[in-house]
Parts: sequence; structure tokens; C-alpha cells
Amino acid sequence: MSVGRILGLTARLTAGLTGWLLGAAACTFATGASAETALKVFVTSQGQPAIWRTLLDQYEARNPGIKVNIELGGTTSDMQAQYLNTVLTAKDSSLDVLMLDVIRPAQFAAAGWTSPIATDMSAYLRAYAEANTVDGKVVALPAFADSMFLYYRKDLLDKYGLQPPKTWDELADAAKKVTDGEKNPNLQGLSFQGKAIEGAVCTFLVPYWSQGKVVTKDGKLDFDRDAATKSLALWKGFADSGVAKKNIAEVATDDTRKEFQGGNVLFAVNWAYAWAMSQGAESAVAGKVGVARLPAIKGGEQATCLGGWEWGVSAFSKHQDEAKKLVEYLSSPEVSKYIAINGSLLPTYGKLYKDGDVTKAVPWFADAQAIVETAKPRPVTPRYNEVSEAIRTTVNAVLAGATTPADGAAQIEARLKRIIR
Amino acid sequence: MTTSTLKERATRATARRPWLARWSDPDDTTLAVILLAPAAILLGVMIVYPVSRLIYTSFLDLSLTSGLPPRFAGLANFRQMPDDPVFWQATWNTVLITLITVPGSLLVGFALALLANLPFRMKWSVRLSLLIPWALPLSFAGLIFGWFFHSEYGVVNDVLNRIGLPGVIWFNSPRLAFAAICLAIIWKASSFMAMIILAGLQTIPRSLYEAADVDGAGRVRQFFEITLPLLKPTIVVALIFRTITALQTFDIPYMMTGGGPGTETATLAMYIHQNTVSFLDLGYGSALAVVMFGLSMCVTALYLRMIRGGGTAS
Repeated sequence: MSVGRILGLTARLTAGLTGWLLGAAACTFATGASAETALKVFVTSQGQPAIWRTLLDQYEARNPGIKVNIELGGTTSDMQAQYLNTVLTAKDSSLDVLMLDVIRPAQFAAAGWTSPIATDMSAYLRAYAEANTVDGKVVALPAFADSMFLYYRKDLLDKYGLQPPKTWDELADAAKKVTDGEKNPNLQGLSFQGKAIEGAVCTFLVPYWSQGKVVTKDGKLDFDRDAATKSLALWKGFADSGVAKKNIAEVATDDTRKEFQGGNVLFAVNWAYAWAMSQGAESAVAGKVGVARLPAIKGGEQATCLGGWEWGVSAFSKHQDEAKKLVEYLSSPEVSKYIAINGSLLPTYGKLYKDGDVTKAVPWFADAQAIVETAKPRPVTPRYNEVSEAIRTTVNAVLAGATTPADGAAQIEARLKRIIR
Repeated sequence: MTTSTLKERATRATARRPWLARWSDPDDTTLAVILLAPAAILLGVMIVYPVSRLIYTSFLDLSLTSGLPPRFAGLANFRQMPDDPVFWQATWNTVLITLITVPGSLLVGFALALLANLPFRMKWSVRLSLLIPWALPLSFAGLIFGWFFHSEYGVVNDVLNRIGLPGVIWFNSPRLAFAAICLAIIWKASSFMAMIILAGLQTIPRSLYEAADVDGAGRVRQFFEITLPLLKPTIVVALIFRTITALQTFDIPYMMTGGGPGTETATLAMYIHQNTVSFLDLGYGSALAVVMFGLSMCVTALYLRMIRGGGTAS
């Protein structure tokens, strides 16, 4: 948590200092020469900054006079939001372009923190065109698409003659069969996010949605306490029965990714980015991984959570035109294809899902478009941070055993009632 | 420029502009005002203005997510508190942390100070090790203790396993998580207490102990008759500092548990931070901060009474 923040601060300090020194140098030695425009892009540190750096290097080469620096921040979506909240409340102009979690453009636009961009959104997947349009104005452009998937160990399922599960009950049975058979004390049946991070909101919502319920309808709260109890009880049941590990309340998204990659997890709930690393040189499971739709509650439909990240232009940037041009490039089909191949980040353009180069690098992307297109967005409200906090801390408390699922559901309802009226 | 020319100029100026004369050759009242001005301005800018602004904001309905302009809301923010379960939990945790870690760090700090004050040769190493926890940033201490108590990678569970005890998932249990936080705070704060007390110990003249030796008083008696009474002012000062920082506890629980499980280990300072920085509800956040400010003022007043009471007694 703080390491990312400290790194971010250090990077900012260094960048600031370097910028100042360069500026001073430019004044001293290059008087009269046209100054170059330096843009600063805020990138999430879990958003594979190295890939973006490569793309920005290409952009700099093509656009002489433009220099783009990356500022990294926060290892989780909520830590980044805290940082951006402080920077933007202070109307700080030091950041020009912001990488935002899909839940943020609506909030940031309501606060007046992003500049509208005049562009046509019809080429993007519909979910992202909608997430980035507020009151008819485009407030950010998609960086990459995402949704939660079920990662599984193909080799182990094959060994026991099992198919990827369609319901959570099937998953529990399959996990039990494999872990009993393997007799490996380090092998977990299922890993998911139980720490009080943004991902835990999706942990709660996936089985909730699977029962055909919604959180808000026409901007009003439409909460189903029984469905919520069932969702919390499902996850707590996994921890109690040993399908998931006992300290699941300590597990964040990247812990799931690392443990799966280390070969210690049979089923994992995770986003698309985990694929590239699971196939990398440091992975113990390269070539043994399958990806499927998340299971359903018995009798319900298979549901998943819409993710993805967007590029916004800070309303306080002093280089609006240059920043918008950069954002248009970063959101272009060319870039979307490059990051799909090199970072297994899902494309924001429908046509790229069947692109030969993309499916050669990430075969399962060929089947992913339908999943992303039916993924459900988290509640859209300017007070989303409060909604998120109410849900994720309760998920965490239930998984830790500090609250029962029924009390947890009642607490979520009580808190949401105060937020969404 | 010499003083005489200044004086002459001043006299000349007095004839035309009397206020200038008061500057160059001020009477006592003016001099006092001039000398106090820098401190007063500094206090005004750094303390009076922000605190007044905070109190003012606490009466506003000011949320940056609402998209509405600030509106005067009277006591609405304060009226919201009694119905807010997280507020009560955070306040109770803060009070509990204060009640546990202030005496805890005083006792540990006292013991460390007595140890460091012993006349042995490697004294510097003890004093250095006293300094290190104090010099460590709070958030680092929180991070380090967070790793110590991690159920899988933590050294605490590793030690428990090695001596044949089962490991514990510390952060799954509100009580254990709270205990771990208190332990971290006591570790961090006792070095500060120890340093202040060590300074106090060194002001006690050796001759008193020598006289006590001559009179045949034992070490324990010497401690209660000489050390403790003479240290009282030092201890009260140390307690004031420690209590106020304990009421503002933020970094260590924030880094160790993030307030989890759920909101079981959240403190008031963390809740203020969450309302202002994450929820951007500046009105409610300010109201909470006013409550914390009031709490700190009460405790300080209590201690000040104690000092004054002690002064008249002796």
C-alpha cells in the first residue's frame, strides 16, 4: 500500500526536481529556443506501466516537442483515488492525463475534475461508451476493457476428468475432489478477494447479481437483503469449508494472481491482466491455465463485474489540447491491439477480439467479447466511494468472521440507505 | 548608519508623521506589540485561521460529490453523529487506544529509561537502540508490524509454530488485531517516553542518592522517595504529549489493518481522513475533526489542572 504511495511521491519529487532543473537549464542555455511541452500522465502501478512507457516513447518520437512523463501511484484503485482526490481538490495542475478506474469518470465529471473530449464513441464497446459519457458529454476515453473471469488449472481438471464449473456448488465439489486427490497442503481450491479493497465490491456483487437482483434502479436504492445474505454466506462458506484459505480476508487482487501463478490455486477469480503473467517465464503454471465465465448461484445466471480503465484529461491541466491529443492516441485501436498482445489487457474495440494477432497471443480473448459485453457495471453515483466502502468493509468483516452474513447484509443495506436516497 | 543619525531622522519625522516616530523609538506598549507581532501572525496563520475555518466548515453542508454549492446547515453534521455506528466505533477505539497505550508506553518507557541510566560501559548502544524506534516514521512502523502479524508470512506466527503453538490469523479477529495495533503503538511510543524520562533522570542530583545510601535507604525506597517524586513534572509533560498523539492515532492502524476487519479497528482520525479525502464530505469530516479537537482540549485541560494541583501541593 504505502510502498506504492511512497514510490509515487518519490517519483513525483524526482520528476518535479528534474523538471525544475531542466527548466532552469533550458532558461540558462537555450534562451530563445522553443520550449517543449512536458505532459505528465498518472498511471496505476498495477496497470503495467512498462507497456505504457513503450507506447509513450513511440508517441514522443512521432511528436517532436512533446515529452511525456509517467507518474505512478497507489497499488489499489482506492489508494489511487485518495491520492487523485487530494491533488484535484487542490486544483493542482501538475497532472495532465489521468488513468481512471471505470467507476470514476462519472464521479470525476460531477466534481468538474475532467475536461470533456469531443469525439465519436460508436467504435468502442457499448459499456465503455456509456461509462465515459455523462449527460451527453464524453468525459474520458477507454484505455482497456476488463471483467472478472474464472481462471482454472486445466491440467488438474483434466487429470480428474472435470469440466470448468457452471455453478459455485459445482466449483466447491470440483475443488474438494482435486484437493483431496492431490494431497498438497499448499493447494487452495479457490482464491478470491476478501481484503477491504475495491475488488471486494465485485466479490460481493457477482453472486448478488447472479440471483437476478440489482443495487439501484433508476437512481433509487433497490437492495435485496436475502440475496445479499446469500452472497456473503457463499463466500464465507468457501472459507469455512476449506475451499478457500482461512485468511482470505487478507487477500488482495494481486495476491490471488501471485498464488495462482505460483501453482498453489486451482480456481481463481481475477481480471484479464493475470493471464499475461501466468504465461510468463516466472510462472509455474504456463500452458496449464484455462479461463471461463464466472459460475452462477444455483438456478441463477452467470454474472460478472465490469472493470477496465479510462484516460481522462485533468480540468486543471495547462496543456489541454496536447493532453487530449495524447489521450486520443492512447485510446486508439492501434494501442488497444498492442496492449492486448503484450499485456493481455482486453480491447475496447469489438473488432479486435477476433483479430488474428490478438487471438494468437491470447487465445481465450476470442470468446471474451460476449462476457465483457454482458458484464454488469457497479452502481453509478457520484457518492460511489461511500457505496464501495460500505460494501467492501462488510465483505471483509464477514470473511474475517467478525460479522455474520445476515448482519453484514443488514449493515450494507443500512449504510446504502444513508448514501443513496 | 549610526544611531544618532537615526535618532535625528526620527525626530524630524515625528514633526510630520508621528506614527513613524513610534516605530523608530517606540514606547513600551508599542515595543511589546512589535515584538509579539511575528509570533501572533504565525499563530494566526498556522493555528487560529485553520481552526476557525474548520469550525466554520463543520456547520456547512459541503460535499464535493454533490455538485451543489456549500450551504449553511446549522448543527446537521453534528446531529448525524449519534446515528452513525462507525463514528461510535472509531471514537471508542480511539479512547481505548489512549487508555491502553499511554500507560503501556509510560511503563515500558520508564523501564527503558532506568535501564539506559544504569552506569555501565556500553551505555551508548542502549541509548542508540532507544532512538531508532523513535526516529522511524510511523507509517513504516505500521507496515513493519503489519508484516510481523501477517498470518502466512509473519514472523510472529513463525515463532509460534517453532515453539509448537498453532499460528493465529491476527487480522481476522477484531480483538487480536486491536491488540497487535496497541503493541505496535507501545513499541513505537515507549522510546519517546524513555528519552524524555531519561532526560528527567539525569537532572536528579547524585548527592540525593548518596545521602539516602548513608541513611540506609534501599534501592526500592530510593526509587519511591527520590526518583518518582522528582520525575513527576517530567512524567506529566511526557503524558500530555503522548495522550494527545494517542488521540490522533492514524498511521499505525491505517497501515496495519486499514481499520479491518470491517471497521473494527478504525480510529477517529482514520474516519475523519476517510470522510474528507475519500468521500469528499468536507462538512461532516470537519464536524468530526471538531469533536476530536474538543476531546484533545479536554484532556489537555485535565492534565494542566493536574500540574497546577501538584504545584500547590508541593
